[in-house]
Amino acid sequence: MELDPDVPMEDAIEDQSLEEDEQQHLSDDQVFYNNQQQPSIPKQGPLPDLSSSNINQLDEWIEHLGKCQPLSEDNVRNLCKMAIDVLTFEENVQPVNVPVTICGDVHGQFHDLMELFKIGGPCPDTNYLFMGDYVDRGYYSVETVSYLVCMKVRYPNRITILRGNHESRQITQVYGFYDECLRKYGSATVWKLFTDLFDYFPITALVDNKIFCLHGGLSPMIETIDQVRELDRIQEVPHEGPMCDLLWSDPDDRGGWGISPRGAGFTFGQDISEQFNHTNGLSLIARAHQLVMEGYSWSHQESVVTIFSAPNYCYRCGNQAAIMEVDEQHNRQFLQYDPSVRPGEPTVTRKTPDYFL
Amino acid sequence: MSQENTTEDLYPLALLMDELKHDDVANRVNAVQKLDTIALALGSERTRTELIPFLQEVAQDDEDEVFAVLAEQLGHFVPLIGGYEHADILIPVLQVLAGTEEPIVRDKAVDSLNEIASQLSLEQIKSNFYPLIEELATAEWFSSRVSSTGLFQSIIVKVEDDLRHLLLSLYSKLVQDDGPMVKRAAATHLPKIIDLLTENPEKSNQNDWDLISSMFANLTNDKQDSVKFLSVDVFIAILSFFNSKNDKSHHQDLLNTALKLITDSSWRVRYMAADRFEQIALSFKDDQNQVNELIEPFLLLLKDNEGEVRKAIAKQLPGFCKLINKDIILEKILPQIEILSNDQSEIVRSALASQITGVTPLLEKDIVIEHLLPIFLTMLKDEYPEVKLNIISKLKVVNDVIGIELLTQSLLPAISELAKDKQWRVRLAIIEYIPLLAEQLGVSFFDEELGDLVLSWLWDSVYSIREAAVNNLEKLAEIFGSKWADDEIISRVLKSDSSTLNNFVYRLTSLFTLTRLVPSVDKPIVVNKILPFIEDLAVDQVPNIRFNVAKSYTTIAEALFHKDDKESIEFIDERILPIVETLKTDKDADVKYFASQSYDKIVALKAT
Repeated sequence: MELDPDVPMEDAIEDQSLEEDEQQHLSDDQVFYNNQQQPSIPKQGPLPDLSSSNINQLDEWIEHLGKCQPLSEDNVRNLCKMAIDVLTFEENVQPVNVPVTICGDVHGQFHDLMELFKIGGPCPDTNYLFMGDYVDRGYYSVETVSYLVCMKVRYPNRITILRGNHESRQITQVYGFYDECLRKYGSATVWKLFTDLFDYFPITALVDNKIFCLHGGLSPMIETIDQVRELDRIQEVPHEGPMCDLLWSDPDDRGGWGISPRGAGFTFGQDISEQFNHTNGLSLIARAHQLVMEGYSWSHQESVVTIFSAPNYCYRCGNQAAIMEVDEQHNRQFLQYDPSVRPGEPTVTRKTPDYFL
Repeated sequence: MSQENTTEDLYPLALLMDELKHDDVANRVNAVQKLDTIALALGSERTRTELIPFLQEVAQDDEDEVFAVLAEQLGHFVPLIGGYEHADILIPVLQVLAGTEEPIVRDKAVDSLNEIASQLSLEQIKSNFYPLIEELATAEWFSSRVSSTGLFQSIIVKVEDDLRHLLLSLYSKLVQDDGPMVKRAAATHLPKIIDLLTENPEKSNQNDWDLISSMFANLTNDKQDSVKFLSVDVFIAILSFFNSKNDKSHHQDLLNTALKLITDSSWRVRYMAADRFEQIALSFKDDQNQVNELIEPFLLLLKDNEGEVRKAIAKQLPGFCKLINKDIILEKILPQIEILSNDQSEIVRSALASQITGVTPLLEKDIVIEHLLPIFLTMLKDEYPEVKLNIISKLKVVNDVIGIELLTQSLLPAISELAKDKQWRVRLAIIEYIPLLAEQLGVSFFDEELGDLVLSWLWDSVYSIREAAVNNLEKLAEIFGSKWADDEIISRVLKSDSSTLNNFVYRLTSLFTLTRLVPSVDKPIVVNKILPFIEDLAVDQVPNIRFNVAKSYTTIAEALFHKDDKESIEFIDERILPIVETLKTDKDADVKYFASQSYDKIVALKAT
């Protein structure tokens, strides 16, 4: 697998700060932890239909956000409330039907998300499954996550949004989402609303019982998908344990379990992936979490695929992005794409200018 | 006045003072943003006597964020202090702000001062505004001097001769300031001042122009290229003044200066000259000999060793070529264009590609065919997509000169190749060009050469290409008519084999295509060919297909419905509404939603 050594390194720093941050947060009290009793077991049964006034409201927001304009604080509050109502119905292992288009990290690169829809087709005509990391690093985390959550509420059956390791209170304070909220809204309220909402995001999805999708990777404490179903996911991403691993782990060329250089999660080898797929009757594990230069990358003899959907990551990595279309016959097609072209704005060339060499 | 009343009266100001002492700068910024409300509450007199003196203190002791908002707010303050006759009391606060180090604050202060100056009487200008400029322009700290350069323009054509001359002398000192920042600011604002004098010809005399000409000389001889390159705009402003007066006596001198700037040893100066070349040349257009003197310098810039300069001059090609003789274009410019089309820098090739087609209308048809067409074809094969895109998007201009047939002959191989380009935006540009080709090629030639191609785009892996392909077919159907659409599109789409239709993307795209053709084909085709296909898809296992079927039914009903035709209403009742009604009770929420939308629209249509 082709990896940019730089970015995992940066991720590794994230978690050195975990301990410190933790101290700070505890003293900072309830802002960071919901004291309310949350329903820890997802609601069962069919999702109630949206009212027509809600539909009009959402369509209006989607149009507004489509122009990369953030919603007002009050609208974000309403949106998050509606989103919690939808997401409590979802399972830890959310079932998803084919055909579906599976996408990786977006990281606040709003215009590249719009490019993604130009490549894969607009939602709801195309069904989407996003595997987390909507915020941080890019300049438009607020617009990106608002847009995806709006889509989720408007078309709950057409789009699935999983939780990534960046959908957490701690990480967003270090990597940009918190600061962006402060800058765009003048207070941390919107950040609090969204990070509270992130607790409800499903952590994995299962496409037609064959493709297991999640942000990071496997956990030594999880052997069967049923064990994922038993987790209490509605909480901040913990520092260790199965839920943490699912959002933090990476596949590795070495066999067995290894210590992750990121300081959270584990590395897992081909033997682990094959065993997991065999036990659970899977054909593939699809995950995101790592920068791959071609936008997608196979590992473990095609039992694991990494998908990364932020082209020219951080506006400087020069990577392509990709999405994976899975059709009704489970055929897979990868679509690669480059950063969106924004007329009127200076383009950042992927090539280093001569005078830097 | 009772004790209570006084407290109440003071309340707005006290509140502001409290807020301005807040530890958090965001709160202080918020407080300043509400200044106008506070001034309104205080009334104009107390604003003058209490608020403004208080702000004078604020302007000396806070953060730049607060200053920036304060500077902006004060620009709208004239009505709040009781009209322009009191406007001069705003000047001292803004003067302090205009002297801060932060450029954002300074710029806002200068904007506000200019706003205020526009409302001052001549008397006030003399007694208040001119002294302000003088103080700023001679201040010790460079930031005040920089700010002063932006203020001259608001009064220069308002004042009388002697004061104007004083102002220009002051400005001339700023142009020769020790600080490069000040010189740059002065050089940047000078063209605006000259333009104002041009617009008001009675407002300047020979003395003034002697001063301006010496300022210009200072700038062109400056040792720093970051100052010198700004003289190009000053040069253009001066020329336009003389042209407006129809005074050509200085043109030869000025031309010589231009030649010096164009061949300057600093690439930044050459870049600026290249970037404004058309404007420079236009200023000399009344004397062809003088324009011709610019030809050699133009060629030099085309050969410049700095890519940015070549990029800038490439963009001036059509503009400059318009001013010179066709033979010179052929002999001297075209060979350089050919070299430039193979330039090592893609930004140069891209700039050339965006402008080069503009040269074609200036030349004879056979010269374009012999010399330019090969260059276009080379550029269409460029490895850099933007170069290709820039050529494709301007082909219509070429078309008008050499005619579609020849263009097509030479282009068809390139088009077939670009139709498969790996960059989807290149494919998109080609698709968008197709309707234009179609109109001029005629049906038979089109079908033969491009028929397969336009259908193949429907099955592209990128959605935007499929969407453009559908749009394209819709336009082609409008051009070639119903029978053509039936033979060449509908029949062929319906013939797709079942294994292709296993893929939901193919079914969806077929559905989109047929739906879009509905308005432009005859009714029997809709009823006998399109409708059965859509009916099959109404029970598709993929919900996305079913809700798009629901949407399609609205289009079909609209096309078939005719309010005086009872049969059409019966047909809708029998063939369309029952299916839409079934879809309204689908198990998928989105199918239900779009089906009821469609149902309501069709019912509303029937009621018209």
